[in-house]
Amino acid sequence: MNEEYDVIVLGTGLKECILSGMLSVSGRKVLHMDRNKYYGGESASLTPLESLFSKFEQSDTNEKFGRGRDWNVDLIPKFIMANGQLVKLLIHSGVTRYLEFKVVEGSFVYKGGSVYKVPADEKEALATSLMGLFEKRRFRKFLLFVMDFKQDDPSTWQGTNPKSTTMNEVYKKFGLSSGTADFTGHALGLHLDDEYLNAACGDTIQRIKLYYESLSHYGKSPYLYPLYGLGELPQGFARLSAIYGGTYMLDKPIEELVMENGVVVGVKSEGEVARAKCVICDPSYCSNRAKKVGQAVRAICLLNHPIPKTNNASSCQIIIPQNQVGRKSDMYICSVSFTHNVCSKGWYLAIVSTTVETDNAEAELKPALDLLGSIEKKFIAVSDIYEPSDDGQESKVFISKSYDATTHFETTCNDIVDMYRRVTGSEFDFAKVQKDLETVEQ
Amino acid sequence: MASRGQPQRPNGSGQSKICQFKLVLLGESAVGKSSLVLRFVKGQFQEYQESTIGAAFLTQTVCLDDVTVKFEIWDTAGQENIFLILPSFCRYLRYHSLAPMYYRGAQTAIVVYDISNAESFQRAKAWVKELQRQASPNIVIALAGNKADLANKRMVDADEAQVYAEENGLLFMETSAKTAMNVNEIFLAIAKKLPKSEQGGGGAATQGGARVVDINKPANNSGGGGCCK
Repeated sequence: MNEEYDVIVLGTGLKECILSGMLSVSGRKVLHMDRNKYYGGESASLTPLESLFSKFEQSDTNEKFGRGRDWNVDLIPKFIMANGQLVKLLIHSGVTRYLEFKVVEGSFVYKGGSVYKVPADEKEALATSLMGLFEKRRFRKFLLFVMDFKQDDPSTWQGTNPKSTTMNEVYKKFGLSSGTADFTGHALGLHLDDEYLNAACGDTIQRIKLYYESLSHYGKSPYLYPLYGLGELPQGFARLSAIYGGTYMLDKPIEELVMENGVVVGVKSEGEVARAKCVICDPSYCSNRAKKVGQAVRAICLLNHPIPKTNNASSCQIIIPQNQVGRKSDMYICSVSFTHNVCSKGWYLAIVSTTVETDNAEAELKPALDLLGSIEKKFIAVSDIYEPSDDGQESKVFISKSYDATTHFETTCNDIVDMYRRVTGSEFDFAKVQKDLETVEQ
Repeated sequence: MASRGQPQRPNGSGQSKICQFKLVLLGESAVGKSSLVLRFVKGQFQEYQESTIGAAFLTQTVCLDDVTVKFEIWDTAGQENIFLILPSFCRYLRYHSLAPMYYRGAQTAIVVYDISNAESFQRAKAWVKELQRQASPNIVIALAGNKADLANKRMVDADEAQVYAEENGLLFMETSAKTAMNVNEIFLAIAKKLPKSEQGGGGAATQGGARVVDINKPANNSGGGGCCK
């Protein structure tokens, strides 16, 4: 440990592992440590099932759940957008070769007490009972506008301006009802709340495009999910880092960051100091440099049946837009099953998540839990969401944001790209990752 | 790698079928895991091989009478390492940082020890136990007593290792990546022992529901479009 490193990374969450991988590939000397015995930190998939029970301090695991080691339970539910940044990263870094993916079977949206499939193609769009006949025509016109829209080509803007026209104005322009706007902004644009309505429309149009481009990859839904759970993702990038020289230590207690004149010079662990030019970590390793910005609540539910009204989908997402249940932020249900090697045979996992708005976080989840049918076992986790209190330029301590309640990895990747820029001083370039890999492999 | 463990038929009939298997290497640092692979895949040996950096994912085929076995070989990428300044045995276990994904879905494993290092044999036994506990129940495990060229420094008795291997249902050979002794032979023995059925090849095949997709392929190019059900 008394060696000098370019970077010490603390915590093996997905963000830390991707950064560790990218930095090792670019030739930097990386030491990567985690206080836990397992990879993944907050973004781990717990296995066996007994470790999930013990994490929530419950001991009544039962034979009915089958073999404990058949379970890999995500702590933070998310799906991967087929055309999103994480897939680009997986492909460019070659980490895809360690993983196998399945397409999530359906995406659903909650409206007026019922669950509807998000139309995946024109046929489904024409048949859906989400909206009336005339509204469907208006919506179709809107979608064509979005798909043709190019941020750098004003001739596609149809009189709008991506930087100044608000999304509300765009909905008005196409005569869409508030119900359709709800569906569009939340189930397609995947906004967590309604702040986007008064923001410039460019971002939302881009999000809807991402949704449909992702959908067009595989047809059923825009989402992918890795076999054996999301915890495979950090493991894959950790392996990438190790292959390019990164050193790994798990189950390693971290005492403190060693600072000199306000700049980090190393990390102290078990009385020894490993020196480095900078430190990357998740907020749990450096709580005095992070501030709490909110809370997320998640309910991990073990089911012995698929979620009702989802056509027996072995995996699906249900979005409950805030307006539909009188809230400020959306609620999400992510469901996967034994077909993804995350449960024992015949079992399903449904994870409900949202941003906490009241003092009784569990009660907020009721409208979502009511959709699940009978629940064999439920674990509730309320977690604080932290952000770094500074950008790390002076201290050289670069802290990632906690995982938010969003249902995919786009905000996760934005944070990674931003951290990479702050750590290295250069922009993150997907193509460059591949070039670096090719150079090393020659 | 969606078709791991499942037979594929190459273009044109009459040729033998190809079965692909994931093979992982396990064992203490510096027992010669990477050297065994390098000898098997490229026919090379380097006296002062550095800790594994770079390519840790190689493939090599073995031809049997009626079938071609393709090994997808995973090296540890040094993730089995601990810091050398903390040499005691319990510390070793503590910092063991090999990810479960490494041996997940592996249909076969070669557990390697160094015949001139008694502790590496104890570690090999611990790895066998770990595999029996965590890996697919049908996994084919081979035990390789490497560095057999160092017979004058031998610390592990070949008979003792043979008895241990028989008790635990392991293939066993003493090998030398340096002289190439038994290197091709141990891979060949594994290839023969692996089940080459039409269904699943004995690995942890995925169950029901949607098929696995290849995200490296561009959009709408998945042959017939469908991927689900």
